[in-house]
Amino acid sequence: MARLSSQTTTHPSRRRTHTIDLFSRWSFLTPATVILVAVLAYPIIYTIVISFSELSLATFSPTSWVGLDHYIDALTNRNFLNSILVTGVYLLFALPIQMLLGFGTAFLMNAEWKGRGVVRALFLIPMVVAPVVAGGIWRQLLDPLWGAVNWFIGLFGAPALDWLGDPTLAMITIVLIDTWRWTPFVALIAAAAMLSLPSDVFEAARIDGANWWQTLTKVTIPLLTPIIAATFVVRWLGAVKMFDIVLASTKGGPGQATNVVNLYIYEEAFRGLHFAEASAMSVVVLVITMVLTAVFLRMSNKLEEKF
Amino acid sequence: MSIAVRSHRTQKRTAHLVRIWAGVIVCLLFLFPVLWMVMTSFKLPKDIFTVPPTIFFTPTIETYTSYLQYADVPQRMLNTVIVAFGASIVSIVAGAMAGYALARIRIRGAATLGVLILASRGVPPIALAVPMFLVARNLGLADTHIVLILAYCSFLIPYVMWLLRGFFVALPKELEEAAQLDGCSRMGAFFRIIVPISLPGIVSALIFSVILAWEELLFALVLTNNFATTIPVAVAGIAGDTVNGANWGALAAVGTLTVIPVVIFALLVQKWLIRGMAEGATKG
Repeated sequence: MARLSSQTTTHPSRRRTHTIDLFSRWSFLTPATVILVAVLAYPIIYTIVISFSELSLATFSPTSWVGLDHYIDALTNRNFLNSILVTGVYLLFALPIQMLLGFGTAFLMNAEWKGRGVVRALFLIPMVVAPVVAGGIWRQLLDPLWGAVNWFIGLFGAPALDWLGDPTLAMITIVLIDTWRWTPFVALIAAAAMLSLPSDVFEAARIDGANWWQTLTKVTIPLLTPIIAATFVVRWLGAVKMFDIVLASTKGGPGQATNVVNLYIYEEAFRGLHFAEASAMSVVVLVITMVLTAVFLRMSNKLEEKF
Repeated sequence: MSIAVRSHRTQKRTAHLVRIWAGVIVCLLFLFPVLWMVMTSFKLPKDIFTVPPTIFFTPTIETYTSYLQYADVPQRMLNTVIVAFGASIVSIVAGAMAGYALARIRIRGAATLGVLILASRGVPPIALAVPMFLVARNLGLADTHIVLILAYCSFLIPYVMWLLRGFFVALPKELEEAAQLDGCSRMGAFFRIIVPISLPGIVSALIFSVILAWEELLFALVLTNNFATTIPVAVAGIAGDTVNGANWGALAAVGTLTVIPVVIFALLVQKWLIRGMAEGATKG
């Protein structure tokens, strides 16, 4: 009996301390969870709901259920499929070029001399230029009539190029502007990573008589692999959001040549007022992005374990 | 023998010099567009539309004075400051607490939550823009600062959590244990011990958040149209203005005004900024 009563007295208090403990643990996560549910989870769910519904433009709310109609429309819409392809081409060129140039620039930046700090600080500047401003500056520089670039290449006898008016050149231009904006970002991360590499390994390679190519491929690149993978993931997460630069420079043109998917959906929703169709398209993009992000994260983690 | 050694040494020195100068030239190439924009902003149209481009000209602030009143740029600048700092402060407080929880407190499902948050950094903003616009409209919150601040939290909080989690994981465990022995609650230990020690990480997360929010365009285009509009929207408006023709001077002037504060800010805190980038990439 005594044992029983002691049990009934200690048990609630222990449960209370347990509850308080649980409360104190979760209290750290509460603010972020509440805000993210409101501005991230709820909008995604609402997008999915709208994508299966008809949306009334009188009340701006979903009305009747239409099943997969909007998805069928989206996946048979040539312009939408083209915009996915355009985004793919942009990513396929921009990301590897930025990684290569970034790591190359980092090597130059790390040369030891008294101006190194200044050079590194100056590389921060393009990185903080708002992408929309970057698009605007470059549109002026690349203008076929008055642009400084055409004047400059003209000095070497090159013909004036229609950087923003020719479909292929316009895509090259977009990659160029994006590369200008993001290479310094990759370079600064890479420079910090290269400086933190252990110097004794390079010393050993030198004593063993390795030439620079062997040192690069057998020592430097394997040591840098985790950071290359991590930087790639960060760049990927930024690049899939490509919107501002295209809007300010080519507006997706000429025709549909540089109409990246985010710009296309934006125009569909907020110029064409096809909110439901645009929602279905953004769900398609969301799924593709998530799958690829998961693949890249997994690959990056694998590489980090391996090296 | 000695000649061979010496020539090898000069070869090495030449290589080093080439490396330095190549770095300087690449740096100048990257800076050129920004310098060009600043120059253009001080030109009159007659100096802008010339072949070959004018390099020597009488600088004038005419574009600034005429365009600043017309486009209501000061108000948009103020809006940008309010929204960028508002969103960043909210995100730092919420994100730092959550990042700490993920790094240090054993919570069931914390690992899954961490992966979800990292994955959420890949959510394209366009997937959030439509419902945000509809809800903001129906709640009467469209074109307010608060709706933009909340919208920016959708990408800033995951970013801050991810960055600071790495920072907190690297701190020695004894810190909180000592604090808790001294009778601090978990929350007290966090704010009194962990936050002051992690200040470098928190500051760099804050800087990045302000810059990211400062430059954001898509949400600002969708969720505001006049009262709470930010400066990138003004830039996009001038860039896309086909009615008045190419107003290069205005674009350069407003572009310069957009960039200058961030550049000064970035140069002042460059140490933290670079460290934050390096940490962010390594401690995923």
